[in-house]
Amino acid sequence: MNAQTYLRFADRLSTWSGKTFAWLIVILMLVVSVEVFKRYILNAPTAWIFDLDAMLYGTLFMMCGAYTLSQDGHVRGDFLYTNMRPRTQASFDLALYILFFIPGIIALIYAGYYYAGDSWRIGERSNVTYEGPPVAPFKTVIPIAGVLVMLQGIAEIIRCIDCLRTGAWAERTKDVEEIDVVEEQLAHSEFVDEESRRAAIEQAHNIDEAAHQRSGTKL
Amino acid sequence: MSDPALGLTMLVLIVAAIMMGFPTAFTMMGLGMVFGYLAFYRPDHHWLQNEVFDLFVQRTYGAMNNETLLSIPLFVFMGYVIERAALVDKMFFSVQLAFRRVPASLAVTTLLVCAFWGIASGIVGAVVVLMGVIAMRPMLSAGYDVRLASGVITAGGTLGILIPPSVMLIVYAAVAGQSIVKLYAAAMLPGFFLTALYLIYIVGWALISPKIAPKLPPDRYKVDVPAWLKSLERGRAQRVLGGLFGALLRPGAAPAGTTYFTVVKNALAASIPVVLTLALFAAAWWYVVIHNAPEAAPAPTKPAAVQEAPATLPEPPGAAPQGEKEGGLQELGTAEAQVEGGAPARESGMPEEVGSLQALPVEGAGQVPENFYAWFWGLAVLSALVLLVYYLRMDGEQLEILKLLVESVMPLGVLTFIVLAVILFGITTASESAGIGAAGALYLAGMSKYPRRVLWSSLVGLLIGGGLGMMRADVVTVIVSASLGAVFAGTALPWAWDLATNKRLLRTIKESTFLTAKTTAMVCWLFVGSALFSAVFALHGGQQLIEKWVLSMNLTPLQFMIVAQAIIFILGWPLEWTEIIVIFVPIFIPLLTHFNVDPILFGTMVAVNLQAAFLSPPVAMSAFYLKGVSPPHVTLNQIFAGMMPYMVIVIICLAIMYVWPGMTLWLPEFLYGR
Repeated sequence: MNAQTYLRFADRLSTWSGKTFAWLIVILMLVVSVEVFKRYILNAPTAWIFDLDAMLYGTLFMMCGAYTLSQDGHVRGDFLYTNMRPRTQASFDLALYILFFIPGIIALIYAGYYYAGDSWRIGERSNVTYEGPPVAPFKTVIPIAGVLVMLQGIAEIIRCIDCLRTGAWAERTKDVEEIDVVEEQLAHSEFVDEESRRAAIEQAHNIDEAAHQRSGTKL
Repeated sequence: MSDPALGLTMLVLIVAAIMMGFPTAFTMMGLGMVFGYLAFYRPDHHWLQNEVFDLFVQRTYGAMNNETLLSIPLFVFMGYVIERAALVDKMFFSVQLAFRRVPASLAVTTLLVCAFWGIASGIVGAVVVLMGVIAMRPMLSAGYDVRLASGVITAGGTLGILIPPSVMLIVYAAVAGQSIVKLYAAAMLPGFFLTALYLIYIVGWALISPKIAPKLPPDRYKVDVPAWLKSLERGRAQRVLGGLFGALLRPGAAPAGTTYFTVVKNALAASIPVVLTLALFAAAWWYVVIHNAPEAAPAPTKPAAVQEAPATLPEPPGAAPQGEKEGGLQELGTAEAQVEGGAPARESGMPEEVGSLQALPVEGAGQVPENFYAWFWGLAVLSALVLLVYYLRMDGEQLEILKLLVESVMPLGVLTFIVLAVILFGITTASESAGIGAAGALYLAGMSKYPRRVLWSSLVGLLIGGGLGMMRADVVTVIVSASLGAVFAGTALPWAWDLATNKRLLRTIKESTFLTAKTTAMVCWLFVGSALFSAVFALHGGQQLIEKWVLSMNLTPLQFMIVAQAIIFILGWPLEWTEIIVIFVPIFIPLLTHFNVDPILFGTMVAVNLQAAFLSPPVAMSAFYLKGVSPPHVTLNQIFAGMMPYMVIVIICLAIMYVWPGMTLWLPEFLYGR
């Protein structure tokens, strides 16, 4: 398996797992709403609901870590970074991936593996309520999410090396971004004239990028 | 091996790594791991037997179980759905009509819409770009000063991160170990106070030099009144209500050019202010007299607030639906009723965990605060008078504006109001109200695409729910189950229909879901990293060293506050708020007790402070967003010049907050006690 195949594989794996687990937010919303109905209207609260909510939320964010990484969505201090040349960016990134990312995530996988293993062995149950639900599957999320993030991190390292060689970053998979809301809001607007609407929709991504670089010249 | 020097090295390294632009979450994990390993290192143990691994995984698991952070995905999801559901251009148009006679009306409208929409969504870049497209051109072509136009958009765009429900305050609550509910209550007044200061500045400037905001030519805000409605207007004042009412009584003879159905719809729209006011008073009554009366409230009545509040009233938009000065007054009256009438009962309530609520153990059954009845009926009479004047003077134009406002502003206003009211009055926990808010956002999303279908489904649900409620012959149950049925059917049926057929809503929910996943993962992984980092930092004594150093400077509380806020202000230039709150604010929090600063006050001040940081030239991102969508002749320098005064206003606001902490702390103390 060469590097490019791996890169595609990792991106796809992260995106797939992230988008799958992203739907937990809809489930979480439904669970919370139903519980509000049950607790406040039927006066029949559910004992294990706190555990369920936490499990849905915890799984959601842990399992989406790799997806976020593959979309470069983890917050960075981008003030200086965005104004560097790609090669400089890549060399900093490469160094720090090896120095910080790899030890951190390996430790997470290693520690999470034994943490979850202990939990499975003793059949641990949540102590929020008496005889709470088993927590071992939830704890198992830690090492699994760690492995996913690790796989994506290796892909990012390959990206850095690639960029160091070619001098430009490889394109990322297209995905929805926050600024896309501009299109959604303006596409059918009756109050904004056609021309400025189209200009804004087309320029939205450039504007977003330029704003992060605080660059007045690119506008 | 642990050593304060190592702790400081960590701090230096993290600052360096952030400057190099590496994802902060992983920087903190890596640093925490390496330095934690050193701290726990024992030569006689196997190299894999290091307690830092346990620390790391327990901190991670702690973040996964954090009840405060649990509300983040729900609020974020609600925000993304609303962003796609509530059309901001329609909102701008109708609010502009409502405020057409106010000086600098376009600027005032822009600020209000920014603040209102920002309450729901809170993404600075998107707000500024959208308002830049929608509001900038109308303002410039109306001859507004470029500085006024650009300042109001950029300043309004950042308000969303301050006014609850804001994600930033949740993150601060998680970092500082404070209750979200209290922080929300605390940020409420300063948020609106800051908005009010902005408004005073805009209107004042426009009054002093009218040429910066010329009056719009009358044809720019002319409202088209349909011919049939015009035919109903009576007398020189063109009062419309009598004619409308008359037409309503004669189903056989609809005015020329319309149908009886349209007449009914108009009459319903005209009745909305009354309905909202009544519902608000009913909710206040319910809250004080029934909900807070211990043991007197059987479970089935509780929902009344949850469900009746929906009809209650839109808060900021509330000022809008009426559209006229009278309307604004009436609004104030009712809002006061909510606060004055609604809250005293809780005064005796103890501070609640995250607001989960049982009937309060106040002394004596059915305790109602003194003067409640006087206040309640006084305000009721006042509102009735204001409404009466409003209705008597209503002409066809005003009815049209009212209809526009009902359509564009009311749904989101009502939703926001309910979400905030149920949190602040301790009816549900923050995460529960976030869940309801997200579900309500789905209702709005359905309504934005299929207004008719949602209305009819809601009506069907209303009837079925009401019918089911009849089984228990008590009014409250009927009302509750009817409104629940309406909301449920109005959400579920259109969504099911859409997903089964043309899938127009699928894109909305997909985008919102994926964006929520990315934002939540970003914030929460950052939190995992910082949980490890701060534990190791404290372990090395870095925290202690900083504390000693700060204490050795013998600062007065005022000096400390100024230094702390100045540091955060400067950090706000290059960094995002997530990094500031998660990495740097925790360093100050242990110091707060030394200087007798309330952590709630501090958090609110940080939130206000970051407003200024995000408006400071030459680093403010909003300016660049606005530049991107402005006509070419608008320069960055003009935009920055427009932003400067708002920075000064924010700093004035900070000073007032410090001098008069009551403004921030009054509401939380009032609602939850000390």
